[in-house]
Amino acid sequence: MQRVLVLAILSVTAVFSALTLLIVAGKAFREIRDARRRRRRNALEPLVLAYAHGDARSILPALGGGVSRRDRPVVEAILLDHVQRVRGVERDRLGRVLDELGFVETYLAGLSSPRWWVRARAAEHLGLSRAKRATPHLLRALDDDAYDVRLRAAKALAAAGGTAAVAPLAKALSEPNRFATIRIADILAGMGRPVVRELIDVFPHLSRHGKLAALDILGRIHPPEAVAWLNERLADPHPDLRARAAHAIGAIGATASAGVLREALDDPEWPVRAMAAKGLGRLHDEEAIPLLCAAMRDREWWVRANSGEALRRIGPAGIAALEGMLDDEDRYAQHQACLVLESAGMLERRVAELPSAGPGRDAALSLVQRFVRVGQTARLCELAATHRDPVVRDALARLLPLTEAAEEVVR
Amino acid sequence: MRVTKRILVAEDDPVTARFVGSLLNEHGYEVIVADDGDHALALAADAAPDLIVSDLVMPYRDGYEVLRVLRSDPRFRAIPVVILSMRDREEDIVRGFEQGADDYVVKPFNARELVARVRKLLEPRGP
Repeated sequence: MQRVLVLAILSVTAVFSALTLLIVAGKAFREIRDARRRRRRNALEPLVLAYAHGDARSILPALGGGVSRRDRPVVEAILLDHVQRVRGVERDRLGRVLDELGFVETYLAGLSSPRWWVRARAAEHLGLSRAKRATPHLLRALDDDAYDVRLRAAKALAAAGGTAAVAPLAKALSEPNRFATIRIADILAGMGRPVVRELIDVFPHLSRHGKLAALDILGRIHPPEAVAWLNERLADPHPDLRARAAHAIGAIGATASAGVLREALDDPEWPVRAMAAKGLGRLHDEEAIPLLCAAMRDREWWVRANSGEALRRIGPAGIAALEGMLDDEDRYAQHQACLVLESAGMLERRVAELPSAGPGRDAALSLVQRFVRVGQTARLCELAATHRDPVVRDALARLLPLTEAAEEVVR
Repeated sequence: MRVTKRILVAEDDPVTARFVGSLLNEHGYEVIVADDGDHALALAADAAPDLIVSDLVMPYRDGYEVLRVLRSDPRFRAIPVVILSMRDREEDIVRGFEQGADDYVVKPFNARELVARVRKLLEPRGP
């Protein structure tokens, strides 16, 4: 029994000693390797950078005709570090070195790895190399099972593939992962106007969230050539698509589309009405003022809020209409008008004119009285206590209680 | 009088610092590197650079603070400063110029463009 116990203790000790030795040896190995790599980096980096800054056709003569197996990870790290930090000729030259030294070939092979993280890294590095011949491989990677690989392939295509990558990236907007769709939409929006034609062509074949993303991209790129097509989307059977199209038209600032946006204010779905109102504000469409005033009585808060904000954006005529809404019969419209006038600083500007004489004072007085009548006095009381001009504070202090008292009498 | 122009690169990212250093060396400039804001000001006082290329985000003192100190000290007021930063928002660029920067280059940067801007700032100016 005792012998068995001794044997067991010895075995456990031996295992622990072996493990400790292994860990220490592993750490020592890594430290020696890292120290060597740092030394080699110090020696090789100036050669790589001198090539990048110069005009030599090949880097191989500078590296003594080739790179040893042990130096390959060092040179690769140098290239990948610098290629991300520069643009222009030097970036292109560093990217070409990745190809010349065979790293691109390794990354292409990496795209077929059974391990997803190897495929993802390979896709990312191919994007950094910007090797044109990687485009068909990256296109295939857009159908990879792993989300990370698909996303990095999309980013790499945007960096490396040029216009050839637009159509597959646009199709990838239908990707089942919504987060990936958002990232791909960012990539496409970053590519700018060249993506517009492809987006329009691929649109009928996209999933619903892909279509929403496509409309969103057009709103971010602001392509005037897409406006007529976007106008047609306002007749789409799906309300979310109509709403997003209205938003895109407003973002583009297509004044010729003001008419269709005015019609969209009558849409049976509130998201469309809300986006149409927002769009009309962006277009500074004065013709829409009566319609926007009517929309401030909408039963949906978003429509009222966007209509009020649109009136503010339209400018002086819209502001005058907002002031007029303080006398409206609809309580919600009155409150919304107060909120917009307050947040736009109109109330403060008018109040500052209280000590003046003439029409400025009359307008200020009228506005304050209407705010009080609507019951929105919180900001006025704040101004009466804190306004930097003591004359304004006095005027408000006299006006607020007097006006409230008058209201009491009327009631 | 020194013939070779001396450029101080204030940059906490060693990879970028090495790239910019190598680039400017290649074009005939002498380069000294500071890896934080305090070090940059110390080197500006000790090494009398002809131009400073400075990052904005650095330890101890950021690029804006370095600029403020440089512009408030008569010894450094005339040294041209190029901001080299990843910050590409309009307000950051405007703030850089307002604090006294002579030029602003956004990372990732075009190396030849940076050299051209540096060369332009180091050209002798008329009376």
